Amino acid sequence: MLASMGVSEQTPYVIISYVVTLGGIAVFAWRMLARARKIAPQVSEEDRPWT
Amino acid sequence: MDLSPREAVPTAQGRKRKRPWLAISVLAVVFVAGGLMVAKFLTSAVDYYCNVDEIGTKSGCDVGRNIRIQGTVQAGSVEKASSGATSFIIEYHGVSMPVQVGSEPSGIFKECIPVVVRGRVAQDATGKVFEGDEVIVKHDNSYDAENKDRVEQANAEAAQCSQKG
Amino acid sequence: MPDLSPVSIARPTGTRVSRVLGIASLVGIVWLVVFGLFLSPNDATQKAGVRILYIHVPSAWLAYLAFIVTGISSAAYLFKRTRSLTWDRIAGASAEVGVLFMGVTLVSGSLWGRISWGIYWTWDSRLTTTAFLFVTYIGYLAVRGLGGTHQQRARRSAIIALLATLEVPLVHFSVKWWRPLHQQESVAEGKLNGLMLFTLFVGIIAFTLLYVWLVLHRQRVLAMEDALDDQGLDTALAERRAEGAQI
Repeated sequence: MLASMGVSEQTPYVIISYVVTLGGIAVFAWRMLARARKIAPQVSEEDRPWT
Repeated sequence: MDLSPREAVPTAQGRKRKRPWLAISVLAVVFVAGGLMVAKFLTSAVDYYCNVDEIGTKSGCDVGRNIRIQGTVQAGSVEKASSGATSFIIEYHGVSMPVQVGSEPSGIFKECIPVVVRGRVAQDATGKVFEGDEVIVKHDNSYDAENKDRVEQANAEAAQCSQKG
Repeated sequence: MPDLSPVSIARPTGTRVSRVLGIASLVGIVWLVVFGLFLSPNDATQKAGVRILYIHVPSAWLAYLAFIVTGISSAAYLFKRTRSLTWDRIAGASAEVGVLFMGVTLVSGSLWGRISWGIYWTWDSRLTTTAFLFVTYIGYLAVRGLGGTHQQRARRSAIIALLATLEVPLVHFSVKWWRPLHQQESVAEGKLNGLMLFTLFVGIIAFTLLYVWLVLHRQRVLAMEDALDDQGLDTALAERRAEGAQI
């Protein structure tokens, strides 16, 4: 599959940039949702008007 | 009077999410980093590129001074020594100047590509030479698919590359 | 303790809208990876390096958008008729996501710089102003963490945000005002080949959906954090009163 994108000396830089970008966003999202799960039981329903 | 022990309520009371010391140290780092960037920018980026045709004519683009010059690498002018030292001719608006750098330029460096070279203009018996420390390839903002049909067109463009600014 | 159903504990900040948004952004990202890494062609000069464009440009644009949203929400907080802590939390959430996007933009840009210019970093006008913007908003987030009441935090940070918003046009026009190494905008001038343009378009849609999803959730987490702080404060006050009554 990699051959289709023409593996070259540039390929590692391209892969790393995708991994860092999408990975960074994924880590942020995951930590955010984990934090939400952690504190939600301590917050009353009326403080969560979206539910 | 109610003497029963206070109920331990799980609240945010003891949590003290606010840690001003952390915020204050981040702010300190921000101020230092911001200051360094401004200093670096004022000493480096504003010392902007002199186009090749501005050498010796525009103030700030003088011989002997540390500057950066911009131009296009002339077709057929690139010579690489075994030591890695590279020489080529850079051109802008019909004015050209030989460039010598101690190492092989990286990136997508090739003939007919716009580059910015950091260094200084030296005057020797044969004329002006640019002694470069670093070559940066200045890619323009047009992209096109890599395609065999375009090779001819690319060659044609390369042939007239020295005409481009 | 409030009664929470297992579903809402598992997804305390989720709603039907956010779920749809989340799925749509995930699909968008998958499309972006497929088009960006496999289906789009190599560039004639940059070869595979051009593929970084499809994540670098959307993340940069969305970071600018995030900072503009922070500015608008901060203005809405400062304006008496619309004053609400919700605006403050949207501003904070958007700035966090903006810092995240700007951070990854700097990383992908420096990797792109390495393969295209030959260097990871240079003190070019576009690069320097972008890094400065990044650092400014880290400072903004630090100001939010300085403590005090929610209202003090909101007011302080709103003023900083309005000042910081002025930097956004500086970054944008830096490519025009100084002679930079960084290339000019390609999209507006139609300098992208068809499939490349489409892939960039996919990236922008995916990152926009992702941005909205992230801010929506983050803003709700911040609301819960604030509620938790208030609870702590209420309990402390009640305890004080109880102690006073005992004397």
